[in-house]
Amino acid sequence: MSEIDLTIVDACIERIGRQPCYALPLLQAVQEAFGYLPEEAIERLSEKTDCTASTLWSVATFYDQFRLKPAGRYAIRVCVGTACHVKGSDQIYEAFRRYLKIAEGEDTDADRLFTVDRVACLGCCTLAPAVQIGEVTYGHVTQETVGAVLTDFLERQKTASRHPDRRVGHDVPPEGEIRIGLGSCCVARGSAKLLAAIKQVMEETAIRASIKHVGCVGMCYQTPLLEIVSPSGQSTLYVRVEPEDAKPILLKHFRPSGKLRSLANCICDAVDRILTDSVALPIDRYPADVREPDISDFLSRQKRIATEHCGSLSPVDIDEYKSRGGFQAFQKALTDLSPEDIIEQIHQSGLRGRGGAGYPTHLKWTAVRLAEAEQKFIVCNGDEGDPGAFMDRMLMESYPFRILEGMMIAARAVGASRGYLYIRDEYPLAVERISRAIEQCHAHGYLGEGIVASDFSLELKIYKGAGAFVCGEETALLKSIEGKRPAPHLRPPYPARQGLWGYPTLINNVETYSLVPWIIRQGAAAFAQLGTPQSRGTKVFALAGKIRRGGLIEVPMGITIRQVVEEIGGGIEGDKKLKAVQIGGPSGGCVPAEMADISIDYESLHAAGAIMGSGGLVVLDETDCMVDIARYFLEFTQRQSCGRCTFCRIGTKRMLEILQRLCSGQGKADDLDKLHQLAVMVQNTSICGLGKTAPNPVLSTLKYFRREYEAHLNGVCPAGKCRGLITYSINDECIGCTICAQRCPADAIAMKPYEKHQIDQAKCIRCGTCKSVCPADAVEVK
Amino acid sequence: MITLTIDNQTVEVAAGATILEAARKLGIYIPVLCFADGCKPSTSCMVCVVCVEGFKTLVPACGTRAAPNMVVHTQSEEIAKARKAAIELLLSDHVGDCEGPCEMGCPAGMDIPKMIRQIAAEDWQGAIRTVKQDIPLPAILGRICPAPCEKVCRRAQADEPVAICLLKRFVADVDLDSSNPYMPHCTQPTGRKAAVIGAGPAGLSAAYYLKQAGIECDVYDEHAQPGGALRFADIDRMRLPLSVVEREIGQLLSIGVRFIGNIRVGRDVSIDELKSQYDAFLLAVGPKDAAQAAADWGIAVIDDKIQTDRQKYSTSVKGIFAAGGCTGSRNLCIRAVADGKKAAYAIQSYLLGLNGVPVRTYCHRMGVVEKEQLQFFLKHASGAERTQPLTVNSGYLPQQARQEAQRCLHCDCRKADQCALRQRATELAARQKSWESQEDLVARIVKDKNIIFEPGKCIKCGLCVQTAKKEGQKIGLAFEGRGFEMKIAVPLNKSLADGLTQAALKCIEICPTGALAPAAQ
Repeated sequence: MSEIDLTIVDACIERIGRQPCYALPLLQAVQEAFGYLPEEAIERLSEKTDCTASTLWSVATFYDQFRLKPAGRYAIRVCVGTACHVKGSDQIYEAFRRYLKIAEGEDTDADRLFTVDRVACLGCCTLAPAVQIGEVTYGHVTQETVGAVLTDFLERQKTASRHPDRRVGHDVPPEGEIRIGLGSCCVARGSAKLLAAIKQVMEETAIRASIKHVGCVGMCYQTPLLEIVSPSGQSTLYVRVEPEDAKPILLKHFRPSGKLRSLANCICDAVDRILTDSVALPIDRYPADVREPDISDFLSRQKRIATEHCGSLSPVDIDEYKSRGGFQAFQKALTDLSPEDIIEQIHQSGLRGRGGAGYPTHLKWTAVRLAEAEQKFIVCNGDEGDPGAFMDRMLMESYPFRILEGMMIAARAVGASRGYLYIRDEYPLAVERISRAIEQCHAHGYLGEGIVASDFSLELKIYKGAGAFVCGEETALLKSIEGKRPAPHLRPPYPARQGLWGYPTLINNVETYSLVPWIIRQGAAAFAQLGTPQSRGTKVFALAGKIRRGGLIEVPMGITIRQVVEEIGGGIEGDKKLKAVQIGGPSGGCVPAEMADISIDYESLHAAGAIMGSGGLVVLDETDCMVDIARYFLEFTQRQSCGRCTFCRIGTKRMLEILQRLCSGQGKADDLDKLHQLAVMVQNTSICGLGKTAPNPVLSTLKYFRREYEAHLNGVCPAGKCRGLITYSINDECIGCTICAQRCPADAIAMKPYEKHQIDQAKCIRCGTCKSVCPADAVEVK
Repeated sequence: MITLTIDNQTVEVAAGATILEAARKLGIYIPVLCFADGCKPSTSCMVCVVCVEGFKTLVPACGTRAAPNMVVHTQSEEIAKARKAAIELLLSDHVGDCEGPCEMGCPAGMDIPKMIRQIAAEDWQGAIRTVKQDIPLPAILGRICPAPCEKVCRRAQADEPVAICLLKRFVADVDLDSSNPYMPHCTQPTGRKAAVIGAGPAGLSAAYYLKQAGIECDVYDEHAQPGGALRFADIDRMRLPLSVVEREIGQLLSIGVRFIGNIRVGRDVSIDELKSQYDAFLLAVGPKDAAQAAADWGIAVIDDKIQTDRQKYSTSVKGIFAAGGCTGSRNLCIRAVADGKKAAYAIQSYLLGLNGVPVRTYCHRMGVVEKEQLQFFLKHASGAERTQPLTVNSGYLPQQARQEAQRCLHCDCRKADQCALRQRATELAARQKSWESQEDLVARIVKDKNIIFEPGKCIKCGLCVQTAKKEGQKIGLAFEGRGFEMKIAVPLNKSLADGLTQAALKCIEICPTGALAPAAQ
């Protein structure tokens, strides 16, 4: 091992601090500096700070983010979130390993250029299967395009040129607005390139429009999105825009000054041909008059509260936020309402926590309010870790001020003066936006000492997670902030009484805080009007999987699953049939198609064996195997368990082994009974939410799809998904084109031009490449 | 003060007390495993789960604080199932043998690994004490035993078994030749008397252990001298010289067992007369005389052998017990000796009114181990070949015994008698293979001068991590990783010696299993 420059470690310590609570940030800084955590560096930390070797080691080995061995130059993170899983992410992961010739037990290629890793969820579910390489996200990756993706990435590294973001100056009044989506999905699909192209066109043509970066519009299935508001106020939305489309689109809507004017007309027709799916979007320039816009099926059923001004609000422009009603609610809470009044408003609204369990928000707030202590904390849980969920990411990226305002109101209500936003490390954009928003709030006097000339003070800080699903559990999250190993502890004591460092702490989810300003501004009654008697208001869902229009939606509670799938999502992709909807991620369950008419609210979902969870909604079709889905989720929770409780640590492992047996055709007669027994016990004896809900995907599929389990016992996977139970073969339709033989990554097909090809079953790895490339549909799966 | 109800009894505890503390105040037993007094509850093992009315799930009693008017139940089918499953899941992830395969294979159940460690440490007196705990005639058996223990010795998987039988003989010979031979401690006479009929290995063995238990014991035999088959069977006297038989039996009787020779019970003395003198009888007359003895004593036979309860050694008549060859046991000296010892315990239970059948102690077994695992065992043993004695019939010299003792893999658990996991498994009648894993379990064994760390026996409670921290250990121990892969390790991949110094003993003490154990006996 090469010598480690320990002065770098010392510099990290100087910058961050020595207290035990800095264990995580210190390790993050060291990893950033070295690319991994050298043992000598950890030892140095233990010597030079108040963090013990024991704590540092248990923290460093707990989180996925940390590496104890040097990694390749670039990290390839293959997303294995739910949406990606159902679209074959396992095969993609293996394809990368194959392509890079990574030996078993290794994760880095021989040139030490790439390290391949699985990542729980990148939160780009509509791009599934998605892969992040370095800072670049690739969507819809196939086994076939793995090589092309890597080539493209390396090309980018060579030609990486910095286009500084530059806004059109305000000296010339703009004539219209160009809105470009800069949510993660849009960026992943190339909105940055598009932005560069637009700027170039504007320079060439001297079009005077203002470019506006807007947050996620929610229509992630159509990214990158470009919305043009013409000088007359008419809005047009373009979807899946390529950089080369920039010029024709701009010329269609704006009058160029100078020579290029004549060119415009010629191009217009072409534009209409290239771009499909453009929808007219009437602009709302006056926030007071906002009405539910009826523009497309995707948007019509939605009701925007947490995502208010969706697609038209610049994420980190505080002036704009204020001009559209921002901070009115906070002002009201500060001057017109007493803390008790605020809590009463929340009570009246019927708001329940959006993080999963649906605990009445006002009860939490009251508990913290009533707790007596010289210091109270407020925490925002932005550690959205469910594979298949990306609501919180989008809210943080697109509406950072709204979240902050919600926290300010809450802090005022409960009497907290310090707080943290705990954000997943996998969401760099969210971290950036929130920190910029915090800066602006400080600059405008909304955060700090004596806010808006009152006696109310609030300091908020960002705390970056490091990749551990269990940190979404509140007691684990608080321990993480304290710099300890984040294993959940038994409640009570609840954080409301003894939270951060023993002080009363209010902890709510991102979405919960996002709803608060609207409730205070519009009144509790307006919110309570929406939804069902038990579940008021709206809920944001991440809609993904086998659906035509995936994306982020905010709908009133009480809407049915069918309405979401068919009316908003446009039904199932391809000609397939709906089989089930997985709601609530690894803590949730699968609701079968026959029950699609149940209402989406806390109670109905619970009764159906699912949970609202944080709002991941993954649509499954007939080609999805329910045993495989159960296995997938259990593998996830099993890997994410902190390991404290026997049942969660070993019980889920044994359950997983049974599911793995079933999926590979090795099932034993009493496996289903054992699986059920264990599932019930794990549910009944775990001390935190992760363990209590981990068996849900298994129990719900066992309940609704028992036949499919039984089929697996007999060695049959009805959906043709479980690789251990299927074989690929080539039938007489084969035209002898040799494509399959050329593409087979395992050399299982001998090349025989103009003859019927054959698959060598001993070599076949069941990746399905042959089936996907066959032009004659001659590959069968049985 | 807080008032709550546990199993319909009301109890008052101070604020902050746990359900476990409240239950203990009431004298209600709740099994615990990962909990230790004076430590923060780690609420990990879930063996102490109880049901609290109004709670959706079972909760660990060790960490759940009592609350006013709480209603707790500590017994129900659900609770029993969960506790047992918690133990069984831990067992499914447990790597190790409670007792070494040799000990399990020995009909008398002698603690062989312990004897070997004592030999290695030249503690001859300790070794003979260990041997005689279970085998009263080791010098004899050390010469004629077919050594079933060696057939299952794990060392045989690598080369040849440890020469257990020769080691035992060595220990016994040293003792026989000693001017101050081992004398077992006999408890105060209880006033009860037993007669043993037949002075063969089974009868002598029974008498030896009955006497130690405070039961006066006379051994009757039709021959003039004791020994039975040891004396009269066709045995190669080069292998087993008569002098050894005589000296060792003499030593056995010297603890206060009376031998009454030349008496054939039923002929020379009436059974009724004997019944008036003794409180219990053990028939150990050997296979040939079984039918006759049964007829004399009026007890039931089956296939010409005395019919007995296999556990209690009782016959069809109360107060009359039988052991050894006359009950159909294999005609093997070690078997007879083992039978005699167990029958002595049965008689002791009967005479002293102890409760029926002893609970079967849980015994975890690894069986045949994988090559990889075997390497971990071999790492800490001498690589030398099996030590051969100078001639076929000679025993070991002290140097040879020490050398051979170094070959032992010490498969047994050093904390088998203190292990809380084993105790709970015994109480809850847990089985090793209820939730068996598909994978071959392999666990490393780390040995330092004073301490052995076997991660495969760890239940991940973290009591050692807490203790090391409390003791101000600089490196200490840490949780490493998470989920199923989580383990306790020395931080920074340092050695056990770096991690634990002054806290080592306390960590061994607090560890509820054999994961942390003393290296020396």
